[in-house]
Amino acid sequence: MDFQYLFDITKYIAFGAGVTVLVFIVTLVFSVPFGIFCALGKLSRFRILHGLLGIYTWVFRGTPLLLQLFFTYYGLPMITNGAVKFSPLMAAFVTFIINYAAYFTEIFRAGIQSIGKGQYEAAKALGMRPRLTMQRIILPQAVKLILPPMGNEAINLIKDTALCSVITVTEMLRNANRVMSRDFNVGALVIAACLYLLLTFVVIQVFRKLEKHFAYYQIK
Amino acid sequence: MMDKEFMEILRTHNLHKSFGKLHVLKGVNLSVEKGQILSVIGPSGSGKSTLLRLLNHLETADRGSIFIGGEAIAREDENGNSVYLPAKEVLKICSRLGMVFQNFNLFPHKSVIENLMEAPIMVKGLPKEEVEQKCMQLLKKVGLTEKFDVYPGQLSGGQQQRVAIARALAMDPEIMLFDEPTSALDPELIGEVLETIKTLAAENTTMIIVTHEMTFAREISDRVLFMDDGQILVDGEPDEIFKDPDHQRIRTFLQKILEKR
Repeated sequence: MDFQYLFDITKYIAFGAGVTVLVFIVTLVFSVPFGIFCALGKLSRFRILHGLLGIYTWVFRGTPLLLQLFFTYYGLPMITNGAVKFSPLMAAFVTFIINYAAYFTEIFRAGIQSIGKGQYEAAKALGMRPRLTMQRIILPQAVKLILPPMGNEAINLIKDTALCSVITVTEMLRNANRVMSRDFNVGALVIAACLYLLLTFVVIQVFRKLEKHFAYYQIK
Repeated sequence: MMDKEFMEILRTHNLHKSFGKLHVLKGVNLSVEKGQILSVIGPSGSGKSTLLRLLNHLETADRGSIFIGGEAIAREDENGNSVYLPAKEVLKICSRLGMVFQNFNLFPHKSVIENLMEAPIMVKGLPKEEVEQKCMQLLKKVGLTEKFDVYPGQLSGGQQQRVAIARALAMDPEIMLFDEPTSALDPELIGEVLETIKTLAAENTTMIIVTHEMTFAREISDRVLFMDDGQILVDGEPDEIFKDPDHQRIRTFLQKILEKR
């Protein structure tokens, strides 16, 4: 085994891992707040908003992420005659944010809805307005409830970033694939697999810490 | 002697409330004077809790009016239907009422002292140090000073309910409403909560207490309301109701309660 070669391809694949992490972080940073707003929208009294958000989560959870990536990268320029055209990385950001926000919307909605009526009533009886109640009483408790499903989604997101390779984003899997087809070497895939495991391990640890942090109280 | 008009702190006129087809309140007229302790008793489903929940706008009335300290949160239009003030104003007026729930409803993610301090700071905007000092005194009053930094989940039901009473008091309410405050408690924990309520009674706090604790109601109240089928059947002094009730409904009710014991 040539260690210099091994080092070189690992470096090359790890460079792709940087893009993987970038897509991961950008997606979370934007889709979490977006998901919170959509969840609040789904819980509001506006019927039309409910309907629109219902269609949104249905479409984006109900079709393959791969298809959505194709659509954003290849489809949009076609139907807009080139007016809307994203770079590969930008197309990945946009698609992942919208797709993941759809999942987060449903997770947050469920989390908020599992906080009992009594909490709202207690807050109201103390003179707290609905907005304050949401900020200070409901959302902080919902965070605890949504952590486990959020952890799952975060792990999925790490792995889903591999899909970006099909729209020519030079992330980890794409680089590994290139090495493999150039050198007929399956080792590249093993290296990529190890790096994915490392990333998901970190994510798991972070969520374990977060869950521990919120273990100081129970929600009935 | 102040005239009655001045002393009145709460009044309802012809309150009606239905949940779907179920007509729960059928015209309740009520007037409460400052310093009065009022117990509301009656069979389950008679509308006691609903009445309490209408007073601080946890439910909205269909018909009738509600006045708190002379201010109407709901008035009657020409057909007798309830017309409410805008939600913000109702909330403000209703903050003159403190509420204690059957299931405590403490905020589980906040420590005991944070539960008490939340509303005075976030709603009234009072300075933290001042609020903290006052809330510690309230905890002393309910006998839970040493529990100030634990979370509600670590407390017994009785302790939780005492915290809930202190939390309501932290907003300086003019009237305290108790919605079956001991019904969710194990029998051995009921006493400590009733004792706490008695302490408040001794300080002339105006209170409306929905309860199934007959001995307690008789002992503490200036006035007892017996509700049945959405109406106030009898409104009188405790002895009138408990000693020798001339109403057959009350006799049957009291007998049933006693048999349960």
